[in-house]
Amino acid sequence: MHKIAEVEVQNDILIANKKLAKRNQRILDRAGVFAIDFLGAVGSGKTTLIEKLIERMDYSIGVIAGDIISKFDAERVKRYNIPVVGLNTGKECHLDAHLVEHGLEDLPLDKIDLLFIENVGNLICPVDFDLGSHMRIVIISATEGDDTVQKHPLIFKEADLVIINKVDLANAVGADINKMVEDVSSINPHVKVIKTSLKNDEGIEDVIEAILEAM
Amino acid sequence: MHELSMADAIIKTVIDAAEKNNAIEVLEVTIEIGELTLLNPEQIKFILEVLSEDTILEGAKFDIEIIPAKIECSCGYEGGVASDDGLDHYNPIISCPSCGKGDFKIIDGRECNIKNIKIEKEE
Repeated sequence: MHKIAEVEVQNDILIANKKLAKRNQRILDRAGVFAIDFLGAVGSGKTTLIEKLIERMDYSIGVIAGDIISKFDAERVKRYNIPVVGLNTGKECHLDAHLVEHGLEDLPLDKIDLLFIENVGNLICPVDFDLGSHMRIVIISATEGDDTVQKHPLIFKEADLVIINKVDLANAVGADINKMVEDVSSINPHVKVIKTSLKNDEGIEDVIEAILEAM
Repeated sequence: MHELSMADAIIKTVIDAAEKNNAIEVLEVTIEIGELTLLNPEQIKFILEVLSEDTILEGAKFDIEIIPAKIECSCGYEGGVASDDGLDHYNPIISCPSCGKGDFKIIDGRECNIKNIKIEKEE
């Protein structure tokens, strides 16, 4: 005889990721590592920002470079002779806490003060996945259009610092930088917004100051 | 597009729960998806059906319940937010319906919960 039964499962996949993220943060805290998750679209300037920070910040830095299938970002950072782990997500559009946990295993955490985690270039999917970082920096650029904030509100809601990059190109592409700043502030009234032109080293010192404040 | 990995995790969790309860077949799966997750229920459902093939879930009915967004605002408002744009899964709320500002915490709407399953098992 067969019978039909209803079984309570109550297992939230996103909460499972959050639990792993918390575990990652405990691992980082024990090792005294402050971790920053860098989020932004393809071409917004994530890797450039990380390079500029490595050049200027007097800390032992490690990097987890997330990418779909390539290792280009990891290779770019490797030339600084610091510990770098390239994480390939395969078909996935975001890093998750489980992948980062493996990344942490491959890093000499006891020798690192600061960990930069470069997420996959995407303003949508990474929002749902905490990694266990202490700070989330979202970087967007003028060339993405001045409606990009309104189109992706949730990522700004979760950000601890927002950078608007390529402000030197705003006129060329007809982007209103003030509108972008106002849009961020309306979504997340407490978040600091910094305008940069990373190519010209403009605004980078303000970013460093904001990171030091958060540490 | 992380529906594939989410659906894969859902399938694994359901198979695990079904096996623990000695199921021969999974007939129904009820999943709660928060309105503010960036997950498209229709895509999730489609992928679940594809991934179910040749498993204990093959042919199961997937019920997706949408959990409405709920916020707690600094103005004192606690409750839902109006979905005004008719989009099926992406509800870009940026302001509190009471004070119109964005200084609020999201309480509900970010779930991807496997609520329960209906199984057939040996007596």
